[in-house]
Amino acid sequence: MQIKSTHTWMKTAALTLAAALLLTGCASHQGQKAANSSAAANAPAGQASELTYALATSPDSLDAGASGFAVSHRVFRNIFDSLVSQQKDGSIQPWLAAGWTKSEDGKTYTFKLRQDVKFHDGTPFNAAAVKANFDHIYSGGRGQAIALLGPFASTEVVDEYTIKINLSKPFEPLLSGLSSGFLGISSLQALQQYGNQYGKHPVGTGPFKFASWAENDEIVLEKNPDYNWGPPTADNKGPSHLDKLIFKIIPEEATRIGSVQSGQALAAETVPPQLIAVLQNDEKLQIDQSITNGSAFSLYLNTKGEPWSDVQARKALQLAVDVDTIVKTLYLGTYERAWSILTPGILGYNSSLANKIQPDVNKANQYLQELGWKLGADGVREKDGKKLTLRYVEPSPNREKRNDIAAIVQQQLKQIGVQVVLNITKDTSTPISKGEYDLFGNSQVKADPDALTNLLHSERLYTKGGTNFPQLADPNIDKLLEQGAAESDPEKRKAIYGQIQQYVFDNALALPIYVFPYTVVHAKSVEGLKFDLLGYPQFYDVQIRK
Amino acid sequence: MTGSIATRLLTAALVVVGSSMLVFVIMYVLPGDPVLQMLDGNASSPEAIEQMRKQLGLDQPFYVQFLQYFLHLLQGDFGVSRVDNSPVLPKILEHAPATLALTLVSATISVVVGTVLGVLSAIHRNGFIDMLARFVGLYGISMPTFWTGILLLLLFSIQLGLFPIAGSNGWKSLVLPGVTLGLVGAGLIVRMVRNTMLEVIGEPFIITLRAKGLAERAVMYRHALRNALIPALTVIGVMIGELLSGTVVVETVFARQGIGRILADAIMSKDLPVVQGVVFFTAIVYVLVNLLVDLSYSFIDPRIRRAH
Repeated sequence: MQIKSTHTWMKTAALTLAAALLLTGCASHQGQKAANSSAAANAPAGQASELTYALATSPDSLDAGASGFAVSHRVFRNIFDSLVSQQKDGSIQPWLAAGWTKSEDGKTYTFKLRQDVKFHDGTPFNAAAVKANFDHIYSGGRGQAIALLGPFASTEVVDEYTIKINLSKPFEPLLSGLSSGFLGISSLQALQQYGNQYGKHPVGTGPFKFASWAENDEIVLEKNPDYNWGPPTADNKGPSHLDKLIFKIIPEEATRIGSVQSGQALAAETVPPQLIAVLQNDEKLQIDQSITNGSAFSLYLNTKGEPWSDVQARKALQLAVDVDTIVKTLYLGTYERAWSILTPGILGYNSSLANKIQPDVNKANQYLQELGWKLGADGVREKDGKKLTLRYVEPSPNREKRNDIAAIVQQQLKQIGVQVVLNITKDTSTPISKGEYDLFGNSQVKADPDALTNLLHSERLYTKGGTNFPQLADPNIDKLLEQGAAESDPEKRKAIYGQIQQYVFDNALALPIYVFPYTVVHAKSVEGLKFDLLGYPQFYDVQIRK
Repeated sequence: MTGSIATRLLTAALVVVGSSMLVFVIMYVLPGDPVLQMLDGNASSPEAIEQMRKQLGLDQPFYVQFLQYFLHLLQGDFGVSRVDNSPVLPKILEHAPATLALTLVSATISVVVGTVLGVLSAIHRNGFIDMLARFVGLYGISMPTFWTGILLLLLFSIQLGLFPIAGSNGWKSLVLPGVTLGLVGAGLIVRMVRNTMLEVIGEPFIITLRAKGLAERAVMYRHALRNALIPALTVIGVMIGELLSGTVVVETVFARQGIGRILADAIMSKDLPVVQGVVFFTAIVYVLVNLLVDLSYSFIDPRIRRAH
């Protein structure tokens, strides 16, 4: 009896299994057919084609004036054009503005606008629209946009196609800021219509129109068929070669890269170093790397906490941390080591800092010994009964293996008797705003050396909305930073920022670690993918070939 | 019977209200200034920070914030997200179907695989099926879901190309995440059903039934299984909660939409209205499922029915 029943069960199970296999088999054929047909449709350039690009994180908002994230920029750069365009060499050329003049005192910029440009909603691009954008940014007070505008005071509509920007003091980085996607121009009508929901309904003049956004899933953009006012950096002069640009949000590394390996996406961003070599051997795929300019990832030393307020103590750290080993071990030769807190591609980069320092544990030990820190029985230095500790605050999740940097630094500083107290936390803003840290790592994407103001000016403390992580308050540096921002002669600016970088090195305010390369893997059929000065991808020239 | 349902509904309401109160307090005491976190070094001036704090009502004392929140909730107003200003309720309604579908599929896989294997392994103790069942049980409860998920992806999506690798469109995108999550529940249920079945089979009434000359299949499936299902049902109720929370990981690995992910994001950015909304929603689902489970006891077991 029992045996018989088992047989029936097994039969049923076998049948179910067979049916399931059959079903999946059919399904897979259908799936492949669908994939093949879409690939075929993509094949000839100029015909219906779409690019699926896998992002590692999701944009917070597609309102250029309200977002602070690089990932948002990667998406909305395709929707919005800017007044001017910055070339890879840093020079500025016209875009939506046909030309401009700067007043004698450097406080007023007058822009003549193009007259043949239309927003995606059909409304005309004109001075009133540009003014509305700046007003929108100033009413919100969030995001990168407001920082890029510096000492912005007001805008005036001179006539339908002329607009004036007034500043409270001269601000040389203005044009570079205006070229950024964060100051891309939105439709006046859409800004009014959607109010604080505008970030989900962006309307610009760019080569792609916003179509849909399924949160945490995908953002779909469609070709703007009227587009013929592309930036001078592009080869394309008409509408985009792509009909659709789909951004898929795939946070998990293996899934994201796998989507390109399996052909379900044509490109994916942020390839982890250990996979770069593997993917380079795949004949169907190509890896593109582009340096993101701005401030290099650096470990900033808080000058307000004992004992690291003493420059000699900080210099000991500078000598003890072996940056080459860190970068080679973690990034396997795929990241470049940084020597200054500014990246090499930026105006005023101080190249004399390269190879300026070599790790020297003995000298570092000597410095600490001189300061009265004596080695204790447990290998940690002590003075007046206090142990020599360093509070290292580090954000989670582990972006670009930065948590691993912390672990290596912890090991390296053991050699000079410094105990690193590592605090890896999702909420870094609490310890930072309370000043409860000695070391904190940071990098920023900026096109102008004025990026240093946010990092070093005494009025840009974290609690005041800035990123002066060293908590530096040096009137001379403040003055230099202000001069640099106001100076219009590029040579003089170079000298000023070179001097500031030297100062950062001499005072051991920061340990520059690496320059971040934005890394993309894509099918070889994707051609014309370029990157701008900041390392952001440009899709306007992209074509998909067989 | 009706009386007991009313009592249960009342308790359910208390659980939902209590959990959202608790979350409000926890989020309030957690260290960190949501405004500084949102700006992350991008504000123009201290005035802008103050203005934003005022705009969000964060300058009010704790009890005012709490009362305001609670009054709005009673009116069905879940508020707006602090991150993107979008209303919370539509956000939850946008993401809930994907999570509910995933939970349903994985719960079905858990129950079917778990019960079938559990019963068979108890009947054929120490046989091949029993070994398989014990393996599934051990694997399900001990393997982390992200690991199972990535293995399945590598094999079925990247190598074989059978299923879409990411997204939440169509039934095919449900298979791998459903199996990943379903294995966890299957592991729990297999062990539970197997143990209770073995216990029940050893009881005197089974001997009586066999002595009566009842067919073995009837003994097993009509009598033994019914008795063994009660503890398994309780597990299912608890498991739904586990599945709802387990979706965070699976949704991330498979890049699916879902309330698990918006909850995780919202906690990280201290987006209180969204956290509250999701907790409220999840609590309701959880309480409802457990209510159904409790009610189904009496259908399966006449003794419980009579006790009411």
